[in-house]
Amino acid sequence: MSNPDQSHMKQDCETKRECMQLLQLIVDGEATHEQTTDFLSNHLEHCMPCYKTYHLEMAIRQLLKLKCISQAPPELVDTIKAKVIQNLAD
Amino acid sequence: MYNFAYRLTLDQDDSKDLVQDTYMKAYRFIDSFQQGTNAKAWLFRILKNSFINDYRKKSKEPSKVDYQEVESYYNSDEVDRQITPDLRVEALKDMIGDEISNALNSLDVDFRTVIILCDLEGFKYDEMAKILDIPIGTVRSRLHRARNLLKEKLSEYAKQMGYKTA
Repeated sequence: MSNPDQSHMKQDCETKRECMQLLQLIVDGEATHEQTTDFLSNHLEHCMPCYKTYHLEMAIRQLLKLKCISQAPPELVDTIKAKVIQNLAD
Repeated sequence: MYNFAYRLTLDQDDSKDLVQDTYMKAYRFIDSFQQGTNAKAWLFRILKNSFINDYRKKSKEPSKVDYQEVESYYNSDEVDRQITPDLRVEALKDMIGDEISNALNSLDVDFRTVIILCDLEGFKYDEMAKILDIPIGTVRSRLHRARNLLKEKLSEYAKQMGYKTA
């Protein structure tokens, strides 16, 4: 995404409630392609609160993915494999 | 699967047992799996149900009744107004330790669950609705509250780290 000239952005969003709902759909990939491109190109670059919220939401998701995923211990995988094989043999 | 189990139980041994139980149940009830549907969502649903039935009872998690009170509280407009995302991206960039993990773990299990399923596992709203047996509208609102609570927690950490919140 481009880096908009922040001095020309509006500081208040008059459609905040609707925008927050749409933003949630966009970050979750549940908005339509039209909704997403329209919002990102026509609203976000001009509206400071929405711009900030969007980038904050994306940053939180990135951090979650980076910090909150732990891999299964290898012995667990082995145990489950062994049990399934045993079940198949029964 | 393991990550979901771990985030639910917050205990390594419990999460191993839970994942094993889930696979054994899936194996036993393979006939109830509808061909052509999402196998991952089906497994997650089994895991979630096992957690509620077998683990939640033993643990000190608040009872269902308590939870309903929590939800009606968080659904009130007052709370919506209180929660302002005054957290900044720069502060997040400095959270290189366990801050976000601790913040996530501190949330009530139902709020924690929707964040894991959506943000970490990439499930769609309709899949989450099936996994959790709740309507899509509830998925959306619960996710919204959960993220606000997470942001609140993160801005507490940001304050402790010396960031001024606007």
